[in-house]
Amino acid sequence: MIDTINAFVLFANFVLVPGLAYGAQLALGALGITLLYGVLRFANFAHGDTMAFGTMVVILFTWFFQQNGITIAPLPTALLAIPIGVALTAAVALATDRLVYKHYREIKAVPIRMVMASVGVMFVMNGVVRFIIGPNDQSFADGLRFLITARDFKKATGLNEGLAIKMSQALTVGVAVLLVVALFWFLNRTRTGKSMRAFSDNEDLALLSGISPARVVAVTWIIAAGLATIAGTLYGIDKSFKPFTYFQLLLPMFAAAIVGGVGNPVGAILGGFVIAFSEVTVTYAYKKFLTYLVPTEYAPDGLVQLLSTDYKFAVSFIILVVVLLIRPTGLMKGKVI
Amino acid sequence: MSNSLRAVLGFGVFFVLLFLVGFYQSWNVMLAIFNLCLISGVMALGVNIQWGYAGLFNVGIMGFAALGGVAAMLTSRAPVASAWQAGGSNLFIAALVTLIVIGLAVAAYRKIRPSPMKSLIMVLIIGVGYFAIRTYFDPAVLAIEADNPAKSGFLGGLGVPIIFSWAIGGLFAAGIAWLIGKIALGLRSDYLAIATLGISEILIAVMKNEDWLTRGVKNVSGLDRPVPYELALQESAWFISQIENLFSNRLDGLSEAGRELALRGLVVEYSSVFVKLCYSGLFLAVLLTVLLLCVLALASPWGRMVRAIRDNEVSAAAMGKDVTRRHLQIFILGSAVVGIAGAMLTTLDGQFTPSTYQPLRYTFLIWVMVIVGGSGNNLGSVLGAFIIWFIWIEAEPVGNWLMQTITSTLEPDSGLRRHLLDSAQHMRLFIMGVVMLTVMRFSPGGILPERTAAR
Amino acid sequence: MKKLLLASTMLAGLTGAAFADGHEVKMGIILGFTGPIESLTPDMAAAAELAMKEASDSKKLLDGKVVVPVRGDSTCTDSAAATAAAERLITSDNVVGIMGADCSGVTTAIANNVGVPNGVTMVSPSATSPALTTIEDKGFFFRTSPSDARQGQVLADILKDKGISKVAVTYTNNDYGKGLADSFAAAFKSNGGEITISAAHEDGKADYSAEVGALAAAGADHLAVFGYVDQGGKGIIQTSLDTGAFENFILADGMIGDSLIAAIGDDLNGTIGTLPGSESEGAAKFKEVATAGGLKKNDGPFMPESYDAAALMILAMQAAGSTDRAAIQSKIMEVANAPGEKILPGELGKALDILKSGGAVDYEGASNVTFSEVGEAAGSYKELEVKAGKFETIKVR
Repeated sequence: MIDTINAFVLFANFVLVPGLAYGAQLALGALGITLLYGVLRFANFAHGDTMAFGTMVVILFTWFFQQNGITIAPLPTALLAIPIGVALTAAVALATDRLVYKHYREIKAVPIRMVMASVGVMFVMNGVVRFIIGPNDQSFADGLRFLITARDFKKATGLNEGLAIKMSQALTVGVAVLLVVALFWFLNRTRTGKSMRAFSDNEDLALLSGISPARVVAVTWIIAAGLATIAGTLYGIDKSFKPFTYFQLLLPMFAAAIVGGVGNPVGAILGGFVIAFSEVTVTYAYKKFLTYLVPTEYAPDGLVQLLSTDYKFAVSFIILVVVLLIRPTGLMKGKVI
Repeated sequence: MSNSLRAVLGFGVFFVLLFLVGFYQSWNVMLAIFNLCLISGVMALGVNIQWGYAGLFNVGIMGFAALGGVAAMLTSRAPVASAWQAGGSNLFIAALVTLIVIGLAVAAYRKIRPSPMKSLIMVLIIGVGYFAIRTYFDPAVLAIEADNPAKSGFLGGLGVPIIFSWAIGGLFAAGIAWLIGKIALGLRSDYLAIATLGISEILIAVMKNEDWLTRGVKNVSGLDRPVPYELALQESAWFISQIENLFSNRLDGLSEAGRELALRGLVVEYSSVFVKLCYSGLFLAVLLTVLLLCVLALASPWGRMVRAIRDNEVSAAAMGKDVTRRHLQIFILGSAVVGIAGAMLTTLDGQFTPSTYQPLRYTFLIWVMVIVGGSGNNLGSVLGAFIIWFIWIEAEPVGNWLMQTITSTLEPDSGLRRHLLDSAQHMRLFIMGVVMLTVMRFSPGGILPERTAAR
Repeated sequence: MKKLLLASTMLAGLTGAAFADGHEVKMGIILGFTGPIESLTPDMAAAAELAMKEASDSKKLLDGKVVVPVRGDSTCTDSAAATAAAERLITSDNVVGIMGADCSGVTTAIANNVGVPNGVTMVSPSATSPALTTIEDKGFFFRTSPSDARQGQVLADILKDKGISKVAVTYTNNDYGKGLADSFAAAFKSNGGEITISAAHEDGKADYSAEVGALAAAGADHLAVFGYVDQGGKGIIQTSLDTGAFENFILADGMIGDSLIAAIGDDLNGTIGTLPGSESEGAAKFKEVATAGGLKKNDGPFMPESYDAAALMILAMQAAGSTDRAAIQSKIMEVANAPGEKILPGELGKALDILKSGGAVDYEGASNVTFSEVGEAAGSYKELEVKAGKFETIKVR
């Protein structure tokens, strides 16, 4: 019996808890991508770098607060800076829309042109972020680090295996839940939210019923920028901030959005967790887990690892390709391709 | 301005700039830039075939270039007999088992009627097959990688001259492109982009981690060359006498010892120039051949058909054109050209290093070339490749110089000055983005837009 | 647009143009100023420039020549960019020799494509891949750091002495990490140890929970990390501690840095590590010289090796009595090895005098330089342990 509990604590510690946090971070990013796709109808390649930009602003203000002794311990100070980060990033997103994307909407360019323009924006953002804060790792997390450490858990329960829950992980999941609830309330209950959904479902009909496209587009950018900033900040507190890492998050986020069904907010959240958990479960070595569960004489010699961790990042793409092949609309029915 | 005038002007300005680099920096630097321009030109042509002819947005250029690189390495490296001995037989069995599993899976997929039973059987075949393959494959890999890991630890290649690898690189890329095309071409355009981006990352991951095949991150260096070695030239009496004749008036006035020293310096410098010129010749030949074929193809009835498909898929399909088939054909052709360029690049580097393949450099930079040069216009893509590569290389010294000048009025030790100087290299990305966005916005056709009969 | 281009290139041309001055000798420094080890390279370059300054200030080098450093960026990973930088230094700036490069992959590319063909001596302070021992360098490539084949052996021996017989290994997925992991595995196994898992990690990813999960599952109490201090290696250690997967670490040279302790804190106490170098007289002397020279640090990783690399080329120049590239190459072995008077850091002036009068020197330098037949340091390693938040040298192996 005790072995079974040990096995599941082990599993929770190495798979469940990190998977939940990572999944929530991906889900928030994927939500932004999916909303932009639903309303503006293009895949935004600059989303990862928007995240980096938003996080950078948050970091700069966090440093400012920390220097002036403004903290909210035990919570990380970065939470205080998030509103400023969201505001500035939204402003930048709106400015980018005016300068770049608006033109292509007006000439009714094919969607792929917008995608290419977003690649250009990606380059520029990439440069700007590195120019301001540099290409290096930045740490800005403060406050309480652990809700419970592995050592304390072992002491308290007397088990062999420890379970650690970081403040940042709990915070990530909590904030993500709050945000998602707020977003769905907004989309389903408010006038603007409803008009956004109508616009996404059928642009022409929405225009006929008097919805202002400019307003819908602007609101979408603001929400996407906000989600990107918050997701980026949570990711940065949990792991660390480095511009290049955020660029690389783009692919798993795309994968999450598409796997869930692009244009579908529920799907994006589901997709985020599917991608996060498959990365961790497929590459986890189950040797110790099984050793606890089965009688000693059957304990495995090998690592019992489906795929070596070298291919961790390939996992999300493989899932993406398989989903595209078998069920191109994604798990939750999204836009038809 | 007419297109031909623009072309003459564009290439004219480029060559003047290049000449200035040669004059002020050195001829070796100039030729090094030019050689990479030529390779980039071929790569851009490949992208242009896909985007310009058919509107396929392939963001997996990096993967195809890397496939070319693998081909160059595998073609030219001699086979490692001891590694084959260590793991060859198990590897062979693993390959056999793989074929059987694939065969069974395909047969089951075709023969069994759709039902939950079918899914179960499929999963079973693939699941059991996976472990059966690993049973033979894992020990083979272990044995091969344990064979002198510091110096070899992989199977080696075919051991034929590296120049053949350019064609083989094209074939490699074409083969994989066929596979990817079968999977992904049915998707909408931006999904194709994301899928190709993902697949190219997978390709690189395989090259980095399958040490038994590619030696992985340990790199394979010292590849053969299709051109003479500098050191051999420096020893060769023929080459020394050529240099002596060429620079006779510069050498004549000197004393015996001074002449000896000066000649030695010239021989060393120009052996390097000579080698680069040989490469330039080879690359130029490839570039011109590909360019000629592209131009001919675009002007042929086939070219008219693919452009008709690009401009209006529905009506072209209604006219009885097989859109999917044409798309696959073009995807394979374009990827093959990128593969050729990738093999050329690895040949020039003289080593295969999987970790150099980064999407910004090998995918997005090539795209900027095509968009700036002129999508749909072959000559335009080449011009774009030349100009963008030139900016990419010279942006570093220029950016540094610019920052020095801007900050020269600041205190030498001020934090701002140091920060700006350190950030100069990141201007590169910024400049690329701005150039790309500006061209897309104000000159959507690029420097040399596509010529169309109607407009 | 085109005009702008034209103007900018002309400027580039001007800045790149070499002004030949009879008193100047240019020496290249090619290190990865951007890329994975960008936090180490500024100090390394500063150490090399310190040696150049020392020789120039003594006014004894070839009757008062001044050594001017020219920097180039190797990026550590992109061989095309590294080759381009080397091409510029060698053919446009006309450097007499190159201190560099740093990472093993780009070093091979530069040596094969530019250095050896142009007959330019390269002395690398930090390229440690075993593969470099056997490249066809025609005698133009040297390194003042020992090969990783040796470091793997030293690490294995330390573990044997400590009675640790079971470790998990993770390495950064490049030629350095993989090469070191291979040589360590071979040595550790022949010492009777067991490696439960050897898994790569990619640098530049922020999430390492999957890697740590797999490493921990294999069942070992100690984790050997062969990576870079400001890259994935740090993330692996952080995640391991956070999840309680490992508490004992074994680090190789790339992981040694004060920034690691600053980031992780007291949990690192008890960590074992190795770093090329020695606690010799020369190493102590180097610290004095570095402090006196106003350097930011006086004992960073590879700083002694960088100082020595530059010093060796300068002494070889004096021994040959010329700034000719081939002459430098022919004399480097002579000044590095016995016989001759032992030379420590800060004594370059003395060495230049001895050489001028036709005497012989045996440059010991900051890192106890003695070249093997193929021109690489035999090398000693410091065994380090983290005690009370500081790396302390236990002994030299």
